[in-house]
Amino acid sequence: MALTGRTPLLVLLGLVAVLVRPAGSSVWLWLLLVLLLCGLDLLLAPRPSSLSVVRRPTGSVRTGHPAESLVVVTNDSTRTVRGVVRDAWQPTAGATSNRHPIRLAPGDRAGLTTPLLPRRRGDLRALGVTVRLPGPLGLVARQQTIDVPGTVRSLPPFESRKHLPSRLARLRDLDGRSAVRVRGQGTEFDSLREYVRGDDVRSIDWRASARTTNVVVRTWQPERDRRVVLVLDTSRTSAGRVDDVPRLDSAMDAALLLAALAARAGDRIDFVAGDRRVRSRLRSAGRRDVAATLQDAMADLRPVIAEADWDALAGAVQGFGRQRALVVLLTPLEPSAIEEGLLSVLPTLTRHHRVVLASVRDPELDRLAALRETIDDVYDAAAAEQAVARRRRTSELLTRLGVDVVDADAQRLPPALADHYLSLKAQGLL
Amino acid sequence: MTDVADRTRRATPLGLLRRHRTALVVTAFLVLAVVVALLTGGGQTGRDATYDPDNAGTDGARAVARVLSDQGVELDVVRSAGALADAGAGTGTTVVVTSAEQLGASTVERLRRDTAGATVVVVDPGPALLDLLGLPGSAGDADTEQPVAASCDDPRYAGLDIEVDGATRMPGDGCFDDTLVTVDDLTLLGAPQLLTNDQVLRADNAAVALRLLGQQARVVWYVASYDDLVGDDGVDFWSLVPDWVRPGFGLLVLVVLALVLWRGRRLGPLATEPLPVVVRAIETTRSLGRLYRRSGDRGHAAATLRAATRARVRTRMRLGPATDEQTLVRDVARHVGRPEAEVADLLAATARPPATDRDLISLAAALAALEEEVRRS
Repeated sequence: MALTGRTPLLVLLGLVAVLVRPAGSSVWLWLLLVLLLCGLDLLLAPRPSSLSVVRRPTGSVRTGHPAESLVVVTNDSTRTVRGVVRDAWQPTAGATSNRHPIRLAPGDRAGLTTPLLPRRRGDLRALGVTVRLPGPLGLVARQQTIDVPGTVRSLPPFESRKHLPSRLARLRDLDGRSAVRVRGQGTEFDSLREYVRGDDVRSIDWRASARTTNVVVRTWQPERDRRVVLVLDTSRTSAGRVDDVPRLDSAMDAALLLAALAARAGDRIDFVAGDRRVRSRLRSAGRRDVAATLQDAMADLRPVIAEADWDALAGAVQGFGRQRALVVLLTPLEPSAIEEGLLSVLPTLTRHHRVVLASVRDPELDRLAALRETIDDVYDAAAAEQAVARRRRTSELLTRLGVDVVDADAQRLPPALADHYLSLKAQGLL
Repeated sequence: MTDVADRTRRATPLGLLRRHRTALVVTAFLVLAVVVALLTGGGQTGRDATYDPDNAGTDGARAVARVLSDQGVELDVVRSAGALADAGAGTGTTVVVTSAEQLGASTVERLRRDTAGATVVVVDPGPALLDLLGLPGSAGDADTEQPVAASCDDPRYAGLDIEVDGATRMPGDGCFDDTLVTVDDLTLLGAPQLLTNDQVLRADNAAVALRLLGQQARVVWYVASYDDLVGDDGVDFWSLVPDWVRPGFGLLVLVVLALVLWRGRRLGPLATEPLPVVVRAIETTRSLGRLYRRSGDRGHAAATLRAATRARVRTRMRLGPATDEQTLVRDVARHVGRPEAEVADLLAATARPPATDRDLISLAAALAALEEEVRRS
C-alpha cells in the first residue's frame, strides 16, 4: 500500500470543515472520512498480480556503451489499469529513467524500455519490477515488487583495440608482402618472385635465378596455425588496483589485444582463467571473432581472495593439447606469490611450451621510491626500493628459467605484449 | 589557496566573529530590545501606574485621592492581595480596584472573599475580568467626548455630566450611557479617565468621582498586581486566538503525517550494489614503509636505499652485476668527478648508518642527487 499526493491534500481540505464547525471533533470526523475514502479506494484499486511482467533478454554490451532493457507488461484483468512501473537495476547498470507510467486497457500490453549504461564489468542484475496501481479516487495505491530476473552482460571495454591497426600493419610486414622482411629459423617458405629493390639480398635464390633471366628471391610467410594459450590469473594478487583499475582488468585488456592479433595471424587461441580452481575455459579453433568470444568469457570474472592454484591452471593448459604453444601467463609479478605457487609448475610448462609472463607494473611504486622529502617518505621509499629489488630478482629468476617477462604499466602492457608476440613470431620462436 | 585561507580564518576567534557578524548584530539588537521593553513596559506596576493614587502624572489619580483624604475619608492604599486581606474591608468600606487588568482568577476570588460586605468599585474592567466577575459581555465604546448626562435613577448623580476622552459601556443598565453600572455591591466604572489628574476637572467629573468613592467613611484603594497571581491564572494563549485555530493546528499535524507517509514510501526497495573490495596495489609497500618507520630501523632503510642506487648506477654505467663494490665506487667517483671517499660514504654497503632521521633524509636526497649526476654526465 502507498499513499498518493492527493491524501494530504484531502486532509488539508478538512480546514474548511474546521472553519465551518470549529471543534476538535470535526478533525476526528474528517480523519474518519479520509480513512473511509482511503479504505474504499484501496479495496477498489486493481491488484498488481493482475499484470503479467516479462523481461526480454538484454544481451551483452561493452562497458560504458548504452544498452536497453525491455519489459513487457500485459493487463490480464478485465479493467483498465493505470499506474507506474519501476524497473530497478543495480546502480552500476546505469538505469536512469526507469519509471514508466502505464495505462492499459483489458488485454493490452506495453513494452517499457529502460536505458542502461553499464559502468562496471560483469553480469549486472535487475533487482525487480515494482508496480504501483492507484485506486479510482487516486488516494491510495496498491504496490508490489515482482521479481523479474534479468542481467546485462557488461563486457571488458577492450580499450587497447586502438593499438590493433598498427600491430596488424607490422604483422603484414612479416607476411612478406612488404619490402621489409625478416628471415628466421622457423619461417615457412612461401613462393618465389622477382627481385625488387629493397629486398634483402640474402634471400636471393641463386639456383632459381640461374634458370631465368631475372633475379628471383624467395619469400617466406610467418608460421601459421600455432597455438597461443592465455592464462589469466584471477587470484588475490590480481585484485590490487593500479590507478584505480584492478590489475585483472588491465590484464584482460592485454589478453584481448593479443588474442585479436594472433587470430588475424592465423593462430589458434585457447583461454583459461582461474585461481583456486578454473573459472573459465575457452577453446577457439582459429575463429576470427575470437576477441568477442573472449570478451564474453571474461565478462563475469572477478578477483577472488584466494591464492592461485598453479597446478590446476597448468593442468588446464596441458589439457588443451600437447602441441607446442605460446603460453602467456597474465599474473602480477608478485615475488612471494610467484615463488610459492608458480615456480614449482614452471619447469613442466617451459619443457613443452614457450612461456611469457605479462605483469601490470604499478607506476606508483617508482613515484614512491623517488619521493624523499620527509622521514615518512624516506621510509616509504626504502620499502618501495625493497619491493622493486625483489621484483627484479624474481624477474631475473624467471628469465633464467626460460620465461620471458613483460612488465609494463597498465596502459603500455597490451602493446608491449603484442610487440613481444610479434617479435617471437618474426624470429619463428613460436 | 582560498581553501587554506578559509580554514585559517575559521580557526581564529576573530575569524569566528567575522563569520557570524550578522547573527551577532541581530542577537545584540534582540537583547537590547528586550532590555528596553523590560525597563519601560514593565514599570506599570509601580507608583506611576495609570489611576494609581500616588501617581501625580496626567494619568494618575493622586488628585482624587488627596481630595478624598482632605474631606476626612480614611484612605488606605494597598498594593497586594495580602495587604487587602489585612486591611479588613467590610461593611462601611468602599474598595476601589485599579490596575484591574492585572487581576486573575485567583485574585478576583480573593477580592470577592476579602471584601464581603464592602462596596467594590472596579475601575476599567476588561472583557476577561468581566468574565471572571460573572458579568460577561461588553456593549462597546461609549461616546463621552461631549458631556454625557447621568440619565439614571441613582440620586447621587442627578444633574451631573461627565466628559472624558474615551469610555466603555459596561454590561447591564447604568448611568452616563451605561459607563457606570452598579450590580448589587459591585460597581463597574467604564469611564475611568474621570479619575485622572488631567481630566478630573472636565465637566462634573470631580463631583462624580467624589460621590462615587466618598460615600463611606473608609476607602481601601487596591492597586492590583500580577505578582499575586498563582500558576494557572495567566491569560490562556488559546483564549486569545480564534476558536478554529486549535483544531486547525491538529489538522495540520495530520496533514504533515500524511505527507510523511506519502513521501516516505519508496517505489520498490533500494537498489543495492555488490561492491568489490578496493585494494590498492601499493598498499603492502606503504604498510611496509610504516612498519620501518615504527621500528625506526634507519640502518635497514639506508642499506636498502644504497643497494637500490648501486643497482641503478651499475646498470647506467654498464658495469654488469658482477662488479665488486670498490670498482663501482672508483668508477662512479671518476665519472662524476667527486672524491672517492665521499662516494664511498654514500654508496658503500659498509658505510656508517645514519644516526638521526635528519641524516637519513639527507642521505636519501644525496643518493638521489648522485644518481641524477651519473645520469647527466
